[in-house]
Amino acid sequence: MLELYHWEPNTFFLKALVTLKEARAEFTSRYFDPTTFAQFTPDFPRNVESALQLEREGPLLVKDGTVISSSFFLCEYVAEAFPQAGLLPAAAYDRYRTRAWGQYLALQLGPGVCALGCVKYLAPLLARRSKAELSAQLARIEPIERRNAWSALIDGSYDAAGIAAILERLKAPVKRIEEALGRSAWLAGASYSIADIDAYAMLSVLPDLAPELASAAATPRISKFLQTVGQRPAVREALAMSRTGKPHEAFVPGVEPSRWG
Amino acid sequence: MLTLYHWEPNANSGKPMLALAEKGVAYESRYTDLLRFDQHQPEYLKINPDGTIPTLVHDDKVFTESTPIMEYVDEAFDGPPLRPQDPVRRWQMRWWMRFFDSYFAPSLSMIGWSVFVGPAVRDRDRKELEAAIDRIPLEARRIAWRKAMFNQFSEAELTESRRRVLFATGVLERHLSSQPWIAGDSYSLGDINGFNLGYALPLSQPEHCNDQKTPYIMEWLRKIYERPATQATWTKGRTALTSRVTFLKRQS
Repeated sequence: MLELYHWEPNTFFLKALVTLKEARAEFTSRYFDPTTFAQFTPDFPRNVESALQLEREGPLLVKDGTVISSSFFLCEYVAEAFPQAGLLPAAAYDRYRTRAWGQYLALQLGPGVCALGCVKYLAPLLARRSKAELSAQLARIEPIERRNAWSALIDGSYDAAGIAAILERLKAPVKRIEEALGRSAWLAGASYSIADIDAYAMLSVLPDLAPELASAAATPRISKFLQTVGQRPAVREALAMSRTGKPHEAFVPGVEPSRWG
Repeated sequence: MLTLYHWEPNANSGKPMLALAEKGVAYESRYTDLLRFDQHQPEYLKINPDGTIPTLVHDDKVFTESTPIMEYVDEAFDGPPLRPQDPVRRWQMRWWMRFFDSYFAPSLSMIGWSVFVGPAVRDRDRKELEAAIDRIPLEARRIAWRKAMFNQFSEAELTESRRRVLFATGVLERHLSSQPWIAGDSYSLGDINGFNLGYALPLSQPEHCNDQKTPYIMEWLRKIYERPATQATWTKGRTALTSRVTFLKRQS
């Protein structure tokens, strides 16, 4: 039995939903709103790995009591548990590329996309709340890295220079993806894989967040890729699970950028 | 044809070296000296334009990300399996490898670069060093090298790295107290990854990683050290960095 704890179908949550839909895996949807901090309450599923949350926030897949976290690895689990869906390429080299993309997208694309989305949508939402209550909620979050990711949205950490730096950093991964899509139909070669699901989930919000980086004019291959993937039945079904009608505005803090600069 | 461009059996270079040794796969070894910036030379950049180490070349295919390389090695070659069969355990192996790669290792290596890599190159001519930095293709690596070469890590950064190393050591100790290997009952790529990161922890963090405070980590490191593949791999080391591994030899 599979249960997916998820929020709106966007970024990390969208990846997991699309992968489960592509795999035709039966699962029970457990919808939660991470901006209410439900994920830190005692009755929320938890293990060592999900508490540390290297992505800071994200979906949890519960399989017979085991809590599976970290969205790309969650997708890889689904791909391996449901091999008939063909979400991992057949050739070992292409599977290497799938995993290398998963790592690259998580560390190079994810932090910037989530930060921009949080600045545009989550920070204003938090700003409308009682500051005292919010501060008390944040103070209870462990570990400290996870708490800091939320606190940064209300303490002025994201100033104009910081946002400019994020946009600058996003140029390289966007360019790399645009070039890769010129070499093969899909990121890991000739077949659609969880690398494409991951890229779609993180890139589909970029034309809204940073049109100067991703648009039909600036990145024609990415635009076409987003259109193609967006028409897949699994993606449509996942997006239809939105309860707000605005899934592209649902952001949570993501992977922290490299501490090395 | 299988060629591995690697530096010392340590951190990212050591991961594919040890995985290949465990599988019993022979390969052409190309020692690429990180401290001489071999990885930023034009001939190396033709193979790996990112200028990172290691690089595996298998026939006409090029592989540059060390953790995914290990999974490729396990899939593409005969030999003992280095990943659990159970998809849940595989997920656990991968989660821990990401924890090592993106949380534990960057903090530990920031300390390591400030005390080993930086001082090893710092006394060279400043212009030569600046030119070496200019040849680095990735902006993130240029920043990292600049900080290491010129000792630009701030005290706040180093303090945070020390805090994270201590925290991660505790998390790892608790994990290994609940199961013998990173992904359960069998030795896997997770252990290979962890060993490359942490074989010298008892020496670099003696007050936090020792037989009294972290007996499970110590036993885990010693068991991996004793494996024939580890013994064979660490003899390929050329610097004092990797010869520290003998610290793990059990006292009879």
